[in-house]
Amino acid sequence: MSVKYIPVQWNLNKWMYDACMLAGVAAFLWVFIKVAPGLLSHERPISSQIHNARAFGACAFLMLSIILAIGPLAKLDSRFMPLLYNRRHFGVITAFVATAHATYVINWYFNFSAVPKFEAMLSSNTNFGQLLGFPFEAFGIFALLCLLILAATSHDFWLKFLTAPVWKRLHYLIYPAYIAVVAHISFGILQDQQSLFLPVFFIVTAFAVALLHVWAYMAERKTGDPLATADGDWMRICQADEIEEGRARIALLPDGKRVAVFKHEGKLSAISNACAHQNGPLGEGRIIDCLVTCPWHGFQYRVTDGQSPAPFTEKIPTYNLRVQDGAVLVDPHANPPGTHVDPVEVA
Amino acid sequence: MMAAGLVIFAEYWLMVGAVVALIFLTIGIDRIDEDARGAYIFRPLLVPGVLLIWPLVLWRWYALETGRADETKRYKAVRGAHGFVAIGMAIAIGVIIATGLSIKQTWPDHIAPERLSEAGQ
Repeated sequence: MSVKYIPVQWNLNKWMYDACMLAGVAAFLWVFIKVAPGLLSHERPISSQIHNARAFGACAFLMLSIILAIGPLAKLDSRFMPLLYNRRHFGVITAFVATAHATYVINWYFNFSAVPKFEAMLSSNTNFGQLLGFPFEAFGIFALLCLLILAATSHDFWLKFLTAPVWKRLHYLIYPAYIAVVAHISFGILQDQQSLFLPVFFIVTAFAVALLHVWAYMAERKTGDPLATADGDWMRICQADEIEEGRARIALLPDGKRVAVFKHEGKLSAISNACAHQNGPLGEGRIIDCLVTCPWHGFQYRVTDGQSPAPFTEKIPTYNLRVQDGAVLVDPHANPPGTHVDPVEVA
Repeated sequence: MMAAGLVIFAEYWLMVGAVVALIFLTIGIDRIDEDARGAYIFRPLLVPGVLLIWPLVLWRWYALETGRADETKRYKAVRGAHGFVAIGMAIAIGVIIATGLSIKQTWPDHIAPERLSEAGQ
């Protein structure tokens, strides 16, 4: 949360997160390049450029896999939630590592071509009509382009400017990017590997990412947010006594938006479930210091008017609410962001 | 020919993006985002993004300037595609890896070469 934009919002947690990540990247590259060439079938003489390209490529693949695993892991087990906190820095570093991989490859294989190196890269293999010898470089170029777009639009300005839903849709590019990376490896280095280590590492990692996503989706389907049921012009959310103090119940409204009904100091308030920052699920968070706190990045809002405390300026819609025969009913028409609604006493 | 065309296209795309970045980051951003007013150090960080997605920047700038942006959509989280993405990605990964393994060529490089005829014959 910030009032004016700054280049990077650092804090101690982010420093620690980034330090661990960079140490991991350095350790991976060191092991790949210095310690384990035998494991990787590099006992055959190859140039240091190729060795470095493979090291950075493998590192980028692993980093991208971890980034993609964090989301489903956090859905399946909230203990992984802290990994979500600074995932965008992880993505930016991944884009740098992938760019280093591409730079090594282009400078080694295409630098002294008869035509400019980027043109040489695009024209060196055009066998798009066959699987064997398919130009796997095209997958790599596509994936790198996606990663660069994601990294370049990671600043909070883009979230506010594009709106979180458009930003999210843009950042869905990570999925085709990962599929392209899998194809880049499958039709590229996998075809050349004689040792078992790298193919097994690649296949196990890729299938783990796929499995985690399917698992998290199935779990979400089973325990997902319930549909609010119509009760005249109002929508029935749950029974008032089902809501724990400091927590919320979430329900899906007919317009596709989600409402979160919080209980604070024994009274109920309804706000949008979507955080103004990245549309994180506010209803899965809790009230800390009298403020609803987003579980993703810690953005905070007053439960009665959906506004962040001064000097912050974020605000979210609120909903009118009433309790009837112990049931919580919500007006499905959201109030404009920041509208105060008196909290309702639980009868 | 095709490759040269793609490189030229990329160059023009980035050149137009540079012009958009120059105008947007010096004039436009102050008009459409109050949090950017008086904040300058972060702006160079936005240049790569504008270079890459300048049509989206222009569309959004236009929508905000003209009041056509539907701000209520800001609070409708994008969650409907999760299932499609999860299942689709898992299938794609499986198919691609299976295809890659099925076309993999092997050769007996672990077998020592065997001389089939005597030297000099």
